[in-house]
Amino acid sequence: MDQMEQVVKIFPRKLRMMLGGAGTEHFQAEELRLRTGQPLLMKAEGEEWYLGADGTRWEKDGGRERSAPGYLVTAEDIRETLEYMSRYSLYAFDSELRQGFLTIQGGHRVGVAGQAVLEGGKVKTLQNISFLNVRVAREVPGCADKILPYIYEKGRVCSALVISPPGCGKTTLLRDMIRQVSDGWQDKERGRLVKGLTVGVVDERSELGACCQGRPQNDLGRRTDVLDGCPKAEGIMMLIRSMAPQVVAVDEVGSPEDLEAIRYGKNCGCKLLATVHGCSLEDIRKKPVFKELMAEGLFQRSVVLESRERPGQVREVLDGDGRCLWRYGQGQDAARPTG
Amino acid sequence: MRWIGACLVTAGCTGLGRHMAQQWRLRLRWLEQLRQMIYFLKGEILYGHTALGEALERVGKRCQRAEGERGSKELPLFFLSVARRIQEQEGEAFSTIWREELDPIKETPLKEEDVASLQELGKHLGYLDLDMQERYLLLYLEQLDGQIGYLRMHLKERTKLYTSLGIMGGLFLTVAML
Repeated sequence: MDQMEQVVKIFPRKLRMMLGGAGTEHFQAEELRLRTGQPLLMKAEGEEWYLGADGTRWEKDGGRERSAPGYLVTAEDIRETLEYMSRYSLYAFDSELRQGFLTIQGGHRVGVAGQAVLEGGKVKTLQNISFLNVRVAREVPGCADKILPYIYEKGRVCSALVISPPGCGKTTLLRDMIRQVSDGWQDKERGRLVKGLTVGVVDERSELGACCQGRPQNDLGRRTDVLDGCPKAEGIMMLIRSMAPQVVAVDEVGSPEDLEAIRYGKNCGCKLLATVHGCSLEDIRKKPVFKELMAEGLFQRSVVLESRERPGQVREVLDGDGRCLWRYGQGQDAARPTG
Repeated sequence: MRWIGACLVTAGCTGLGRHMAQQWRLRLRWLEQLRQMIYFLKGEILYGHTALGEALERVGKRCQRAEGERGSKELPLFFLSVARRIQEQEGEAFSTIWREELDPIKETPLKEEDVASLQELGKHLGYLDLDMQERYLLLYLEQLDGQIGYLRMHLKERTKLYTSLGIMGGLFLTVAML
């Protein structure tokens, strides 16, 4: 099933018919936004579109000056959508809702916002949810081809950190890196096959593998074990003890516990593939805990992403000391690792 | 001819009495099976945090296997058909699916009030948090316990009453007609 058809199918009947009627399947949508009392917006092909009042077509968003306000999302639409997206099991997403999102079938992430209910100063749950952001997940096989030669040195994989602002494709890139590291890949320049390695993935938000009943729906490679829905810090420890991975992969690290677990993994001899929010290596080095880890040389490679014409474009690949190995616009750099 | 007619009336009324007694027993058995299934469902939801579709499928399959021993096959089939409709992603509200799939259950030993309270449960399943799910399921189980207790308490006297009424009614009609 096409990605967009799958996305349309996660909406309840009324919205599904409108989205289907407007030909949503023909767009390469990045996200769909539902806000109570506001038009239904779609971000696709670098533009913002809103659903027409009759729900039969998408129109380019011209800001407040637009002639017609378009179809206005109702509170009932949001409630039904949330209920339907969670497959009538909102209770099963309790812990995710507390963090403000839920990952649904197909690995798509639905961000939610509304009224926070506090208990003991912490968010217990969200109620009166009035804002939804459906971020469409896509597998892009081969998107890591360009950087793979740079994250290997003397035939061995290096620990690599993918640095990217939100929405620039770091999860998609990491997914393809995992797949290729696990399956092995063909180094065309040297004309040899790089052997696959055992990869352990801690998929806290089910975005990498998009597991359904424990089985990944995305291709993560034949030597990959996935621990789905488990907190990263705990999951890294569990995987290392139970599955003996050669490479551990995690998405969006940031908390001191995550980083401590990464350090533990490194000390156990595992290589790490991780992603983090940021715009550059300097940004990451400014973060208190990361600063320490980077100084320890935990990551031998940093891959910095940016969104030029489309998400997921690599700006530069740096080594552990911050030296540039490859940069966009420079072509192949002489500093490519040997081996 | 008269005697043949008399025998048929007596046999018919006795059969009717026995049928009424059997319906009482069957209703009790169905409600007990339903209670067991709701307990399993509660376990899946509360302890396994399993999504409703999967939970219904698991419980339905488990109870379908045990169906040979006692109970009905319709109740597990009801759970399985709701689970199937959820998987099909037709875009309907859960309460609609639950209500529509309940239709075949109406033609069973369960009474209208049993089906109505089961239908009511469908309005609260799935939405809201675990605490609320637990409360709704416990409330429903409490109702079921009350019904089962009542049916059990009166089982002997009612089955005896219906059987005897059937026989006596048959005899009375026979005498009256002769």
